[in-house]
Amino acid sequence: MVEPILIALEEYISSKILKQPGRKIPPQELLISSGLIDSFSLIDLALYIEDKFGVRIADTELNSQTFDSIDQLAALIDSRSLK
Amino acid sequence: MTILQIAILTTLAIIIGQMPKGRPLAMLAISTFAIFWLQPNEPFVTLTFWLPVATLGITAFSWAICSPPETRSLRNNWPAATVIMGVVLLMDLNRYLRFDQIYSTGTPVIQQAMIVIIGLTAVTLLFVRWKRASLFFSIIACTGIVLLFVIMKTPNLNHAVLNSFIALRTANPESKTIPLAWLGFSYIAFRLLHTLRDRQSGILPPVELAEYFNYLIFFPSFTAGPIDRLERFVKELKTPLPLGNEDWIDAGTRLFVGLFKKFVIADLLAIISLNDILVTHVKTAGWMWVFLYAYAFRIYFDFSGYTDIAIGMGRLMGIRLPENFNAPYLKSNLTQFWNSWHISLTQWFRSYFFNPVTRVIRSAKIPIPIWIILFFTQVSTMVLIGLWHGVTTGFALWGLWHGIGLFLQNRWSEFFRMHNPIWNQNQGLSAVVKALGVILTFNYVALGWLFFTLSSPAMAWLAFQKLFGII
Repeated sequence: MVEPILIALEEYISSKILKQPGRKIPPQELLISSGLIDSFSLIDLALYIEDKFGVRIADTELNSQTFDSIDQLAALIDSRSLK
Repeated sequence: MTILQIAILTTLAIIIGQMPKGRPLAMLAISTFAIFWLQPNEPFVTLTFWLPVATLGITAFSWAICSPPETRSLRNNWPAATVIMGVVLLMDLNRYLRFDQIYSTGTPVIQQAMIVIIGLTAVTLLFVRWKRASLFFSIIACTGIVLLFVIMKTPNLNHAVLNSFIALRTANPESKTIPLAWLGFSYIAFRLLHTLRDRQSGILPPVELAEYFNYLIFFPSFTAGPIDRLERFVKELKTPLPLGNEDWIDAGTRLFVGLFKKFVIADLLAIISLNDILVTHVKTAGWMWVFLYAYAFRIYFDFSGYTDIAIGMGRLMGIRLPENFNAPYLKSNLTQFWNSWHISLTQWFRSYFFNPVTRVIRSAKIPIPIWIILFFTQVSTMVLIGLWHGVTTGFALWGLWHGIGLFLQNRWSEFFRMHNPIWNQNQGLSAVVKALGVILTFNYVALGWLFFTLSSPAMAWLAFQKLFGII
């Protein structure tokens, strides 16, 4: 199920990365290429994902070509947690 | 590359793009030829031949280390091996064939070339047979490549190597001051490190000899990037993109724009671009700024022009190379500038330096303040990016300038994100702030070029003082 992943990601990004708890982030909003999430926070996001979903996003994948929105990231996590 | 060389390679790219079968081998033949053909003449003549051979040798070893057993069969790889060796022999035979206009005739005697080719092949085969120890060898290979890179890029070490080569042959060696220029090595080394590191992490896809070599020495991107990633490149090598009417126009436009940027705009700007002589002689601050801006635009048009040419040429063969620039001088902060300047290099450093280092520090859960981690990782990444251009004080200072700039800008952005300033609530004000950001970022980058292009930090400091009317 992608839905709970979406919600968890949105909450983590708005409260821990953007420090604006409760801020709504549309699932298609560009996160990396728009500069909303910087490269440093991306690592924190990767560590959170590893901790919460048991899915590793490699250092070489932390870029906008691999995922650039909560939608794409949730799909990536979902596809890997099935394996 | 000269315009003639670009024209010839473009024609070859068009021909390859039209081949229904055998594209990878044709590309491999042309790329192997191109690394010999484009290599500038060396003061020590036969190095013009041996350096490209070394490129091929290192690539072959790395493939043997990187490739899993299923891709190593002789049956699948002998055509590629034959093509590479065939081209090398043909280049060497120019000693006897004497096509002066095409390639140097100062190649070594055929026996020497044969011994080296057989030696390299034997070592590669040994690696291929030695399947189980590949992790150990890949660590050795990474270390070796980094060491070689440092030697080539450090002026004093580079001279020492060149002079020792000359001393081997001459009884009374004259010290040469021209550096040993190993064409494409900066890019090759970073592509090799990418494949070796990904092999260690187990994420490198299995590739055959032809695919690996094509990725490493692809002739459009061999001399000036982009660096690309193996998995992406090989995907398009296996299934080339179709070349419809629009794609022809796109590729042609890219090539034309690239040529115009490089050979018209950049070459014209070169006449008034900042250099040591201008810095010494110019008296007014106004002209200094003109020369500085001319340099800033020249380096952009020159480099992004080359990238356009590479992308256009690649597209003709059904391969879409990654973008390397995205209007960097129109960005409103330094982070965005670095997301759009030499993108494939910064992406490389993020993947193999910044991200792993930050991950280790953040996973350790040691209570280090974020600003300290950020300062350390950003400055070290940028200094390393500087040193990639050459191990000199100037490049290190250039990196430091950008590392500090990125850190300050990050803290500034973070502060205003927390405090929601007035300009975020007003569209007009927000546009003004953004425009000021573009001007500030461009000028910060332009001032950074002082360290990059002038011969010494003292010269950069002199230019800095003149720019601001201090002297």
